[in-house]
Amino acid sequence: MPTSSERIAVLPDEVALHARPAGAFVKDAARFESSIAVAANGKSANAKSILEVLGLGATGGTELTLSASGDDAAEAVDHLATLVAQLVE
Amino acid sequence: MLAMGTEGGKNGYVGLILVSHSASIAQGVAELVAQVAGEEVPIVAIGGAPDGSLGTDGGKVLEALREAATGHGAVVLMDLGSSVLAVRAAQGELSPTELERVVVADAPLVEGALAAGVVASTGASAHEVATAAQEARVANKL
Repeated sequence: MPTSSERIAVLPDEVALHARPAGAFVKDAARFESSIAVAANGKSANAKSILEVLGLGATGGTELTLSASGDDAAEAVDHLATLVAQLVE
Repeated sequence: MLAMGTEGGKNGYVGLILVSHSASIAQGVAELVAQVAGEEVPIVAIGGAPDGSLGTDGGKVLEALREAATGHGAVVLMDLGSSVLAVRAAQGELSPTELERVVVADAPLVEGALAAGVVASTGASAHEVATAAQEARVANKL
């Protein structure tokens, strides 16, 4: 049964969600079946779209809201929240 | 022509063929995509005329499309003008079977290649990769 799941993750202070970190994030998001959104700065992006994620303009220390809907929703947001916390430049 | 990764999508991933008037642009976009999407996506960068000036080398474009059609396929992105004409001319030389494996994306070169590369790195099909590239037409930056 599809479920919804949501978690907040905070970008490390020194890591913006720009090209390389965003690439790592999107590639991992794409491994899940669930649809996943990432919101920051009042904007929401499809977590599987590199251009939308880059368009968030999330800088270091920004709070990201990860929400997923689908069979692996909980696993997806847990995995991505961990990844966000561990991102490096 | 700069080949990054293995040629023509033979390692299981759909590749990218980048066609620009400038060798530096094509190579620079290839480097950017490799850094964001990872090294596993094969990228062929074609830029400049046969004499090295700004322009397009139709022979190299055709060769790259043919090569890609023998592997897991590729998505072609180009800048504008004669790059587009060269890609269209090369498509005209391909067989129907080859054309199924080589999808041309109507998309901005830099942003489209980035989106395409990330999606290709997930093992997506050429059509899925081309669709991702074309989403770059409407993606907001601000």
